[in-house]
Amino acid sequence: MVNTNIRRMKKEDLPEVMDQLLRLKRLNSEFDCSFTVSEESKPDIEKYLTKILNDDAHVLLVAEYSSRVVGILMADILFRIYYTPKYEARIREFYVMPEYRRKGIGKMLIEALRSTLKERDIILITAEFPSLNLIAQDFYRKLGYREIVSIYGQTSTNGPCP
Amino acid sequence: MIMEDQERTEKYNEDALRYSEYFKGKIQTISKVPVRSLDDFSIWYTPGVAAVSKKIASDPDLSFELTGRWNSIAILTDGTRVLGLGNIGPEAAMPVMEGKALIFNYLGGVNAIPVPIRVKSREEFVSVAKALEPSFGGINLEDIESPKCFFLLETLQKEMNIPVWHDDQLGTASITLAGVINALRVVGKKIDQVKVVFNGAGAANIAAAFLFKAAGFKMKNMILVDSKGILQPEREDIDSLMINNPWKYQLAIETNGERIKGDLSNAVEGADLLISAAKSGPDTIDSKVVKKMNKDAVVFVLANPIPEMWPEEAKENGARIVATGRSDFSNQINNSLVFPGVFRGVLDARAKGVNFDVMVAASYEIANFVEEPSEEKIVPTMEEWELYPRLASAVASKTVELGLARKNDSKEGFYRRAREIIEGNRNIYSKLMDLGLIKRMPNGEHKY
Repeated sequence: MVNTNIRRMKKEDLPEVMDQLLRLKRLNSEFDCSFTVSEESKPDIEKYLTKILNDDAHVLLVAEYSSRVVGILMADILFRIYYTPKYEARIREFYVMPEYRRKGIGKMLIEALRSTLKERDIILITAEFPSLNLIAQDFYRKLGYREIVSIYGQTSTNGPCP
Repeated sequence: MIMEDQERTEKYNEDALRYSEYFKGKIQTISKVPVRSLDDFSIWYTPGVAAVSKKIASDPDLSFELTGRWNSIAILTDGTRVLGLGNIGPEAAMPVMEGKALIFNYLGGVNAIPVPIRVKSREEFVSVAKALEPSFGGINLEDIESPKCFFLLETLQKEMNIPVWHDDQLGTASITLAGVINALRVVGKKIDQVKVVFNGAGAANIAAAFLFKAAGFKMKNMILVDSKGILQPEREDIDSLMINNPWKYQLAIETNGERIKGDLSNAVEGADLLISAAKSGPDTIDSKVVKKMNKDAVVFVLANPIPEMWPEEAKENGARIVATGRSDFSNQINNSLVFPGVFRGVLDARAKGVNFDVMVAASYEIANFVEEPSEEKIVPTMEEWELYPRLASAVASKTVELGLARKNDSKEGFYRRAREIIEGNRNIYSKLMDLGLIKRMPNGEHKY
């Protein structure tokens, strides 16, 4: 979408970022009970985000449209001791506000991540999302991503899932 | 009024149980070729019938010419949302499907076969429906839970070569549009200028919103409201809708141009039309909301058995035209005015499909059937027999115009054919009743 600016996340963005993160997590909670959102952790999450804002181990981007944050992308840089390439950027949080979807903003965010990583010679990008999120699946497939890892889970009887 | 209504409902319930036990089903197959002697079986069955089969094998489309396929439809349900009863299963859906088959036959001359099926997934439903295609000229989906019904209708319309209709969506939407067309004629407002509020975002209203769009209403001037409030892109459940109900999601993005948030009372501010298909009343909606609407407000309160607010209350608060789902008030919005004629039409044109353009044409035909629309008469009533063949010919002609028809005829030709079939069928029926071959009600009980 024209007039959309992709830039690094700043401290001032945090209220909008938090809102979108929580929307994303609430959606996840519909896919599996192990994703039940811990609403009381909001202050901790904000603290965590503030801490990693300028941390090399993370890439945090926002899409801005008429001075409003309309999308977020957060990736962690992982070291791969057994494999080559040695570094991987894993997209863990990715959200575009509904009103601004289907306009190419998601693709712009990924593109910006790629060029940021290029400067650091990181060429492997992976994305993590609940298996049942077919929209995410479709999005990455269209960009040429393939499924490479599966995570299976079970909760012991005392866990959050009934 | 409420007490009276309840008593009457109880009487219907009691009678329906008793008569169902007495008649053991509402429909049966009855042969329609002469059997002068058993020798005729050699024509209708082997050896003669082999020639007919061979002919069809060489061209499967001939099944429409040489068998009863041209006039047969399946009423297909998984029993997951039967009336207001919920998921009661395919066996329990049968009485409803038989009733539907009776109406299809009586008003439209259509051979409708009830097919309640036991399926575990929507994909399995799709494969059963597709497997049935060779036997039928159309499919009527019935009483299927939302949002599964949207997926099934969309998929089957795309993948089948016969018309697929989901009456709870399309039938209700068409008759609603027909009523709205006439209501706007009465109050002198224009389709592309009015503001419409849909209360309830189930199958009927979601389909109606898309149909209204096809009829020229502006999406930006529509607002949908459900139990969670006004539908808009920032609502908390919006991502869940994108995954689970993309049709409703699309409406959240495309409607409500002003991005109003809140509840029904915020939505109706300055609205010209309120179309409610929500929970049965009374008092599902506070009739005071009508006060906030524009001058000459039009209010459809379609919940059954009791409308969301009583018509007189709506009028006291400023509504000029009120419609309900009931026959004991004026302006009954009843899909039985739609599906018999629509199927008569698509079958006579041997249509490959049916779409919103056909439905808009159907709604206009129904609206135009009312010669002088007034506040108390915006839609025909079920006794106006002329409606069905006229609707059939309008639908058939539209499918010809859109390239969906496999049989061509003039509007007049389609009309004559539809009328002949419907009347012929009704003659057989009344003859059988006159002769007592269709059993009389036990103990000669009264008519309602």
